Amino acid sequence: MSVEPSRIAREMSHGAAGALDGYFSIKVADDLFGLPVTRVQTIFRIGSITRAPGGPRDIVGLVNLRGKIVTAVSLRRRLGLAREEEGPGSLAIGIEQGGEAFALLVDEIGDVLSLAPDSAITPPPHIARGRAKFAVAYHRINGRILPLLNIEAVFDFSGDR
Amino acid sequence: MDEMLQEFLTESAEQIEAASAQIVAFERHPEDESLIASIFRLVHTIKGTCGFLGLARLQRLTHAAESLIGALREGAKATPEVVSAILAAVDRIKALLAELEETGQEGDGDDSDMTDLLEVQVARCKGRGGEESHVAPVIVAETARPPIAAEAQPARHAAPSQGESAQGKRAETIRINLNTLERIMQLVSELVLTRNQLLEITRHREDDTIKPPLQRLSAMTSDLQDAVMRARMQPVERVFANLPRMIRDLATDLNKKINLVTAGGDTELDRQLIELIRDPLTHLVRNCADHGIESPDERVSLGKPTAGTIRVAASHEAGQITIEISDDGRGLNLARIKDKALKLGLTTEPQIERMTDEEICRFIFAPGFSTAEQVTNVSGRGVGMDVVRENIQAIGGSVALTSSPGKGSCFALKIPLTLAIAPALIVEANGQRFALPQHSVVEAVGLDGGEHRIEIVQGSKILQLREAVLPIGDLAELLELDRPPQPSDAAGQLAVIMRVGAHAFGITVDAVIDVQEIVVKPMGGSLQHLAAFSGHTILGDGTVVLILDPNGLREALGLEQAREAAAAQAEAARGTEADKMRLIYFRAGAGVDKVLPLSNVARIESVPSDRIERANGLMLTRHQGRLMPIVAAAPDVMVKDGDNTIFVISPGSEPFGLLVDGILDIVDDKLDIEIMGDAPGVVGVTHLNGKVIELVDIAYFVEMLRGPEADGTKCERRLLLVDDAAFFRDMLSATLLASGYEVVKAASAAQALAQVARNPRFDAVLIDVDLPDGAGYELAARLRGAGARAPALALAPFASREIVRAAAAAGMAGAVGKFQRNHLLGLIRACVGAGDDGRESFALASGAAA
Repeated sequence: MSVEPSRIAREMSHGAAGALDGYFSIKVADDLFGLPVTRVQTIFRIGSITRAPGGPRDIVGLVNLRGKIVTAVSLRRRLGLAREEEGPGSLAIGIEQGGEAFALLVDEIGDVLSLAPDSAITPPPHIARGRAKFAVAYHRINGRILPLLNIEAVFDFSGDR
Repeated sequence: MDEMLQEFLTESAEQIEAASAQIVAFERHPEDESLIASIFRLVHTIKGTCGFLGLARLQRLTHAAESLIGALREGAKATPEVVSAILAAVDRIKALLAELEETGQEGDGDDSDMTDLLEVQVARCKGRGGEESHVAPVIVAETARPPIAAEAQPARHAAPSQGESAQGKRAETIRINLNTLERIMQLVSELVLTRNQLLEITRHREDDTIKPPLQRLSAMTSDLQDAVMRARMQPVERVFANLPRMIRDLATDLNKKINLVTAGGDTELDRQLIELIRDPLTHLVRNCADHGIESPDERVSLGKPTAGTIRVAASHEAGQITIEISDDGRGLNLARIKDKALKLGLTTEPQIERMTDEEICRFIFAPGFSTAEQVTNVSGRGVGMDVVRENIQAIGGSVALTSSPGKGSCFALKIPLTLAIAPALIVEANGQRFALPQHSVVEAVGLDGGEHRIEIVQGSKILQLREAVLPIGDLAELLELDRPPQPSDAAGQLAVIMRVGAHAFGITVDAVIDVQEIVVKPMGGSLQHLAAFSGHTILGDGTVVLILDPNGLREALGLEQAREAAAAQAEAARGTEADKMRLIYFRAGAGVDKVLPLSNVARIESVPSDRIERANGLMLTRHQGRLMPIVAAAPDVMVKDGDNTIFVISPGSEPFGLLVDGILDIVDDKLDIEIMGDAPGVVGVTHLNGKVIELVDIAYFVEMLRGPEADGTKCERRLLLVDDAAFFRDMLSATLLASGYEVVKAASAAQALAQVARNPRFDAVLIDVDLPDGAGYELAARLRGAGARAPALALAPFASREIVRAAAAAGMAGAVGKFQRNHLLGLIRACVGAGDDGRESFALASGAAA
């Protein structure tokens, strides 16, 4: 099993206690999202995945994170992007939400960004409804627009059954 | 709450429980001084602590009880009155303690009735202490006086040793918060898993330095696991403790003499399980007392001892606890069970002929099954045995039943030691592994072309295994697993036979890989809704596997509990007792005789021909002061000179008369529509007493009379009626049409959904709760999902309390019997009316239904 806790993650989550405005930039396909550092418990590469037959489409399966069973969710599928086979070795972010442990599978984890309140912009009005719910806010940073990931919505499958 | 008070409550609860058991034992063994001494001590301790904590009311009560117990200790006779008085006082003390626990303080109230009662008994004891009791003991109960000496220790031994051990243990025990214990248990579970992973990793390595310490670690982990498990264990005695009292009360209520024998009370069981078996066990013991044990007179005439014996014995074998509840009563009445099973449509005559006695006995676990002729307040309400079985199965246990007529019956509960760790088969399907709890697995059978083959019968897979014919499904198909590119040769070559309740069924898998002890972990929230899985676990090699839920698999196979659950509420038009209805059997015109449910006929009138008038092509007569139209039940029915028989049909506000030639009979029978009728006015053709008859279609006549008018004025209220039985569809739609509703009929869930898709605007939805292609309760939710916002009503042959409850649970507005016409119309009015005032208020209607 290839559990590989990222050193950055550990350093960051330690440093994160003071920096409430710290956000990881995470990438899937060409999409970039901000994810609060404080919500990230660990970053790891998943080992084998156990599929959960009959479960929501976006749940890739269950993975073993150091003796704990976590539900692996593909951000790619969640956003309705082209499907790439997630499997052993995929990059995952450990997040707890609603009492359940999740692993969010992403393509890349980038730098930690500091966001100031004044960089927030009003949400672009034409975002497709299926996508809009996955962002809680939009920030303009270094000339790019960065949506902040709505963690609750990402891990809420009540509408998918 | 005050910590000291909390501790007092916990301790007192245990002491009181022990005391009441001992008092009953004392009644039987008044010579046993140690018993009364022990009771005295218990009550005295409570009294002392009450004084200390300033609980005046409890103190007064315990003081009075103590005086009476003291009198006994000084040699007064333990008459039934005395014992009853003490037990009543104990009950009151319990009630006060419960109130204290809830509110944190003593409630206002007066116990002088109880203290007076106790004082009267004290006075009597003191005055006439030496006198012989004039009443024979109502009941004889003992904790352990077995018919065979070797089976249990005599009561004299048991009680003092209990007292002593309680005393002795006190110094060595500490109270631990339950959460702490659970946390330790969790950590140990994790440790076991990690150990397993380590073992798996090192198995393939030739490294001698790591093996010895690892083996030690492994052994110690196992020991630790054992020790923690043991810490959670409690003796079954805890459940047995309240049995003597219960038997005593039951014996008094039922006027029977009953001995209770318990054995194996020291058998230990997981704390969690102890609580879970309490109700089923109590129910079974009640059942033995009520149905099993005969009355004293009957017993004497049979040459049995007057007092019946109920034996409750626990034992531990092969990782399971067996609790046997047996009696020496009359045993199960097989003939009656057969009768009832046939009546309820649970089986058929040819099937039952081939059944063993044991299989027949199992019918008593079917929902709604009770053979008691008289419903007593003890049992016999027909809910119970099925609940017992369900509760036991829910914890991975099983109930077996043996009975010999005239000699008694025996229920054997098999219960796993613990819930947290369970042995499981690790099976593989399409390359994915699953854990299958062993408790429901009967056997695994190879299918490689030998004697066991899977056949396809009517599109379903069937496995013939020895005598049995089992439904079987492929695990990969049931779970809709992706087929691997190249199916292996082993695919589906092994059948695992499982039993859930009365159902045996098989699933085919590719291989059984291993048998492992797994630590069961519940599914996370986002996957919890998957019925096929009960949890997940991590295997020794670190992979996560899903734990299959045998119940869910059974459902996936399409084996609803149908055959059992059918019972009263089931499949209306298909021949169960529930369909039996009162039918009026009559002649109308040429052709075969006709029949109509009596419920459709409001009155039967005899109308002289001179009172039938003709106007505007219609026949009319005066009925209850109004003009009522009359139609002929068949075109060739003519008004005769003299008296004419007319059925007054009153589908709603406008009654009409149905002219017939004559009534032949009124019979109770079931209706099976065999051929749908296409002649106007006929629902279909059926058999009755070997004769072909036609079922008259009331709806046709209603429409005929309302005819053009109804078409012109569009009905405002639109109802959706879903029922698979054409008979009920027609009968009900007639009633509803006549009451001014527009009725859209659907014969299946699929049709209903299609109707809703076409136009979701309905004012109320009526759903037969037992549709073949999806239970009605479910359909209610699906229709809502599909956009039908109208309140739903459950239709059943009879709206039993269970159905009303299930309907409420399914979010339906109410439930009503199909023959309760007025009630049905009332409910619909309530629903439709509620629709105007706001959708939420239709809860009103369900209140009316309950």
